[in-house]
Amino acid sequence: MVAALVLLAALAAGAPLLARRLGRATGYVLSAGFLAAAGLLVALAPRVLGGGAVEASTPWLPSLGVEAALRLDGLSLVFALVALVVGALVMAYCARYLSDASARGPVLPLLTVFAAAMVGLVLADDLVLLYLFWELTTLCSFALLSSAGAKAVAPARRALVITIAGGLALLVAVVLLALAGGTTRISVLLAEPEVVLGSPLAWPVAACVLLAAMSKSAQLPLQFWLPGAMVAMTPVSAYLHAATMVKAGIYLLVRASTLFAEQTPWQVALVAVGMATALVGAVMALREHDLKGILAHSTVSQLGLLVAAIGVGTPTALGAALLHTMAHALFKATLFMLVGIIDKETGSRDIRDLSGLRRAMPWTAAATALAALSMAGVPPALGFVSKEYLYQGFVSAPGPAWVAPAAAACAVTASALTFAYSMRIVWGAFGGPDHPELYEPARSFLAPAAVAAAAGLLLGPAVSLFDPLVDAATSAALPGSVPPRIYFWHGLSTEVVLSGVTVALGSLLFWQRDRVDRALVRLRLPDAGGIFDAGHSGLLALGGRVGAGTRAPSLAAHLARPLAVVAVLGVVGAVALGGALPERTATAVPGEPVLLVVLAVALACAAVTSSAVVLVALVGLVGLVVAVRMVLVGAADVALTLLLVEVLTAVVLVLVLRGGRLHLPPVVRSAGRGAVPAGLLAVGAGTAAGLGTWALTGRRELSATGAYLLDNAEELTGGTNVVNTVLVDFRGLDTLLESVLVGVVAIGLGALTRGGPASGREVRERPDVVLRVASRVLAPLAVLASVVLLWRGHDQPGGGFIGALVAGAGVVLVHLAGTGEGAAGTGRTGRLERLTDPVLLAGAGALVAVGTALLPLVWGGALVEPFSVPGLYALGVSSALLFDLGVYALVVSLVAACVRGFGRVPAATPATAPGTTRGAERAEVVR
Amino acid sequence: MTTAVVVALLVATGTWLVLRRGLLRVVVGFVLLGHGVNLLVLTAGGTDRRGFALPGQQGGGPVADPLPQAFVLTAVVIAFAVTVHLLGLLRQGQALDEDDDAEGPS
Amino acid sequence: MSALVLVPVVLPLVVAALLLLRRRRPGADALDRAAGVGVPLLVVVAAAVLLAATLGGRTAEASAGGWPAGVAIALVADATACLGVLLTSALTAASLVVAAGTREDREPLLVPLVLVMSAGVSGALLTTDLFNLFVFVEVMLVPSYVLVALGRRGPAGGRLYVTVNLLASTVFLAGVGLVYGTTGTVSLVELRGAAADDPAAAVAVGVMLVALAVKSAAVPLHSWLPGSYGAVGPAVAVLFSGLLTKVGVLALLRVWAVVFEGDARVAWALLAVAVLTMVVGVLSAVGEGSVRAVLTNHMVSQIGYLLVGVGLATAAGYAAALFFLVQYAVVKAALLVVSAAVEVREGTDALSRLGGLGRAEPLLAVAFAVAALGLVGVPPTSGFVAKLQLATAAAGAGSWWVLAAVVAVSLVTLVSMLKLWNGVFAGSRPEAGDPGTDGAGAATGRVPRTVLVPALALAACALVLGVWADPLLTASEAAAAQLVAGSRS
Repeated sequence: MVAALVLLAALAAGAPLLARRLGRATGYVLSAGFLAAAGLLVALAPRVLGGGAVEASTPWLPSLGVEAALRLDGLSLVFALVALVVGALVMAYCARYLSDASARGPVLPLLTVFAAAMVGLVLADDLVLLYLFWELTTLCSFALLSSAGAKAVAPARRALVITIAGGLALLVAVVLLALAGGTTRISVLLAEPEVVLGSPLAWPVAACVLLAAMSKSAQLPLQFWLPGAMVAMTPVSAYLHAATMVKAGIYLLVRASTLFAEQTPWQVALVAVGMATALVGAVMALREHDLKGILAHSTVSQLGLLVAAIGVGTPTALGAALLHTMAHALFKATLFMLVGIIDKETGSRDIRDLSGLRRAMPWTAAATALAALSMAGVPPALGFVSKEYLYQGFVSAPGPAWVAPAAAACAVTASALTFAYSMRIVWGAFGGPDHPELYEPARSFLAPAAVAAAAGLLLGPAVSLFDPLVDAATSAALPGSVPPRIYFWHGLSTEVVLSGVTVALGSLLFWQRDRVDRALVRLRLPDAGGIFDAGHSGLLALGGRVGAGTRAPSLAAHLARPLAVVAVLGVVGAVALGGALPERTATAVPGEPVLLVVLAVALACAAVTSSAVVLVALVGLVGLVVAVRMVLVGAADVALTLLLVEVLTAVVLVLVLRGGRLHLPPVVRSAGRGAVPAGLLAVGAGTAAGLGTWALTGRRELSATGAYLLDNAEELTGGTNVVNTVLVDFRGLDTLLESVLVGVVAIGLGALTRGGPASGREVRERPDVVLRVASRVLAPLAVLASVVLLWRGHDQPGGGFIGALVAGAGVVLVHLAGTGEGAAGTGRTGRLERLTDPVLLAGAGALVAVGTALLPLVWGGALVEPFSVPGLYALGVSSALLFDLGVYALVVSLVAACVRGFGRVPAATPATAPGTTRGAERAEVVR
Repeated sequence: MTTAVVVALLVATGTWLVLRRGLLRVVVGFVLLGHGVNLLVLTAGGTDRRGFALPGQQGGGPVADPLPQAFVLTAVVIAFAVTVHLLGLLRQGQALDEDDDAEGPS
Repeated sequence: MSALVLVPVVLPLVVAALLLLRRRRPGADALDRAAGVGVPLLVVVAAAVLLAATLGGRTAEASAGGWPAGVAIALVADATACLGVLLTSALTAASLVVAAGTREDREPLLVPLVLVMSAGVSGALLTTDLFNLFVFVEVMLVPSYVLVALGRRGPAGGRLYVTVNLLASTVFLAGVGLVYGTTGTVSLVELRGAAADDPAAAVAVGVMLVALAVKSAAVPLHSWLPGSYGAVGPAVAVLFSGLLTKVGVLALLRVWAVVFEGDARVAWALLAVAVLTMVVGVLSAVGEGSVRAVLTNHMVSQIGYLLVGVGLATAAGYAAALFFLVQYAVVKAALLVVSAAVEVREGTDALSRLGGLGRAEPLLAVAFAVAALGLVGVPPTSGFVAKLQLATAAAGAGSWWVLAAVVAVSLVTLVSMLKLWNGVFAGSRPEAGDPGTDGAGAATGRVPRTVLVPALALAACALVLGVWADPLLTASEAAAAQLVAGSRS
């Protein structure tokens, strides 16, 4: 069993290579291979036909309880043989249908892979494995469809989406079944149906299974993809869309019958859907003129009959369904192959063009007629026998008294229609004017179809050969039941009468075909394919509208969302916490009310001003107020850092302003639409933040960590500035990382601000003499002060950051005064510029900091562990200082980068009135 | 209580400015937001302890929790770096002679 | 062992610094490339060793400074962190290989910036200190800000990216402050289960989760993602996709699992957000008109799947989320590399101007097909195993609507992938003479090998992970169990 699959896989892999050597004759090799695989399975038949099974399994995903398990029983044998035998025929047919070039293409390997997948599907004993093969067949079908070219795009899409949707339904069924039954082994689940049936998940499972089968086997209303799939080449239609892939759904339903066959809703659903499909399909087939289209709709109709029979669920009905599956596969594939031959010969697939073939292509005509008669259900063909059994199954349907007659009546009607269109095909083969220019196709081309047609005829009387097979299959599906006996002549029974009625009705429809045609032309059926396409376009349009939110052009639209969520969270938090808060231990900060007033005024002005200068000034003021408050709560280093950062930010802002406009667009535009929501959001966010501060801070004692730090810092690190020790010793990793970050911005800034039109053109007003003199004095002082601050940071306010920021101030001063540049006009890089190259400083600083952090690892310590430098300890040099030195260098690199990056003014926009006017003009145009 | 109001004011104004047109306003808005959040973090240590964590300051009452101060220091520096980067973007926009209107991607 | 924990953070930083100092010499290009690919691969090795050691439930730890627990910042490598570091470093290496093909590595700062980013990513995954997490996330983000600005594909995307992330970082910092305010600690180890004990702490952590949700691009906070990722070059997009949102989701997972411990009262909110994310993301994707836009919108949708696993709040859900994360990163990277190849070859990624590439570049078409199937979740790809696991976890927890959403979104994902396939690979080539001027650069007419090989390799990984899924499944289950139970050192 495994060998068969392996053989098929090997064939698939080897097909391209073979094709290169043999061209289209590869088809024969593959055909032989298929037969060999079938032989392998038949060799196992004795074990299976007695009611046993052959199993093989290996673990696949043990964590999910999934195994790769295979099981050959009667049912799987039937379907596997159908797939392989028909496949062999189609492959032999391909050997003459394809050209050498297309034989080297993907068609042959894909067909082989498909065959392997189909066999794997029916052999699978694990739900997940079954699903895998199910989807694999879908993928093969899509690939084969797509190879037909541009006209296949829409049909392929429909087929893929519908069948994958069904596949997803199957996935849900798999998941639910595994949950309900506790295992994914199919044989285990089927052996004890009560387990699944007793679970509340049983009905969802049944519904999903039905959906999956309906999509795959083209049942109403999901049947419209199948006729569209006829754009594929004929061998593909013959194999996939007539004989095998669409039968996968049938297989699934028969397997599921073990669980659900006796459940009334299941029976009702299947019979209803099946019969509806049978009727509609047959009517559509009668309306069609394209031969392949007729066959496609006919397939839909026949599948409907099969589904209905499975729905009846008695052993007779199931046996009939299985027999008819085989018969249908045979005659349908034959007819497709013959249509392909006729198409190649006559260049047309239109049934109205088809006539009088019997003189020019007698053998072809004969084969066509035989196959069509089998489809019509005329004795003694196999199709007749299987139809008889179907009638028998419907007539003996269980349930209320009206069910059986109704089912039988529908079946008869559908079959009568089938007879009608089959007769048209036969008539086309034999009747009408001759076409003397046609000729018989090569014998090797015709052979597979002829063989199959003949088999259809001979197997009718010899149908009892199938008895053991159908027996085994029916017993596998309905364990413990009595399978029907399969033999040819039943005597004068109800079924024969029904067959007679069918033939009579069908002949009538055929004889009156012109009238029938006119009636059908007036009949208007919904264009399901069009509905699907409309749905598809609608989905794309919906997507476009949903996605419009992410394409909003303004920043505010994107920034508003997190702010809104925070505001909502504030509300939720307020509600959730209510009164469940501990006592507030915080006390008021002295002098805060004054600060509050100043702050409020400054913020209000900042919110509405349109002058950039005023805005920058107010920002500085706010920063000052915040820094003062920080001092009032005992944060000395922080306040100092903040102050210096504020100064530098202000400087950078001014430098930036030098290159832009000094008048900002008005805060509230004349249209004013965005202002109200923004204002509301601002109030909301502010309230949330204020509430959070009030409710969630200042309500507990000093934290354990804080106490530990205050008590032990000096002892453990030697420094008395506790905050600084936290920065460089206790949480040195944070400081290391932030310094690296600062360095990254520094080097990035250089790259960011180089380039652009006429970069480097300086706006060089000769700086004030006072400024120049002052810088020569103050700048070195600043550097000195920075070194002092760096040195004493461990014990007093100071440290790497503060020192570096002071040094940075000096650098800025030097730049503003222009004393660091080389002599005007020479372009010589000044020494100071070289020294403060941001990249160099950043790299060096990073190395020093990281190195100091890593050094303790050498002697087995931890990262960023403080150590004292031997010999220099007396001078106060510890690892903290070295570390701080690295930080110092990195921060200075940022300031230097700022100076360089923002120091030059882009030539394009002078920062004076003309620029403003131009900007305003452009803004007008934009608006 | 006043702390909460201070934070609320800063966050509200910052939010307002961030949602306005003009990258400069956006940058300033972020600066204000940063101040607000920094104050929030600082008060997480408790405003009833206000002594400096330095030698010779024991007379000022219970010493303040040093951990939030370290947090805020780090955050201030990081925010400064990112602000500088944003201003670099602003300058990049100026060099390309753009309408400084803080337009997002169209 | 603890030294190994430091490698992912320290090694890239040191190498980046050295590369910067070497800037002066010409011909340092090859060294850049070697370092750029070699360093992440070394990190992958280290992470693999650590993963093997931690699968049994143990963890490896490195504390910065050797201070007592609660005071020191501890980097802890548990199975989840190791998986994350392994994945992100592998993708970093892959994206730098692709950058060689798309010529994005002509920018001399690329490799140092990427190395610093990867150090930030690894640190964010390894740390157990919330403030340190904030800093590491900044270390990851700031180089990305620079990279986006250097991309020069329109400054608008860069501004969007920087401002939204800056806002998220600010909110995150506020959250950390509030957490310290309510609980007095910022160590995750000490915060285990805090949300259940103290509703105030829950609200504080909630603020943090909102910030992380922005970084993970969860709906409705996702709008920044498509616009920003559209503003970078293709290789950098691969890098971002593999790193940024993954860190957001993993951090969210960790904080959620540790602090909330799967509290049912809040889990439903997370599940609702997850489902919304899945649906909105896929719908947005289906309506887009260029390859990159479709793929980045899909990222939002797939993140929804991840959040479903997180929101289910069971060990099975976390395991599903972790497995999904790993395989999805691979699949998405493969798709983005294919997109990069298309951009390099054709000079554009607008669907209206593409077509017929399937015949011209069959290998690329195969890579795309496999990866697309992985995204949809069709067997035998890794995406299928992930969806199966996720669906099983959802069904097991009784969340039927989640199950339905997972299935429905898969179908719409199929539709959008089909749209891409039909637009790019099927059909016929459009007429020449319509110059592609969407800033993607000139068409070169061929796909460089350094782009094609990673695409095929990543697609192959998706297949391998699908068929031979068990090792990763076991790993993700072990990691999830560790998250739920807390670690034993």
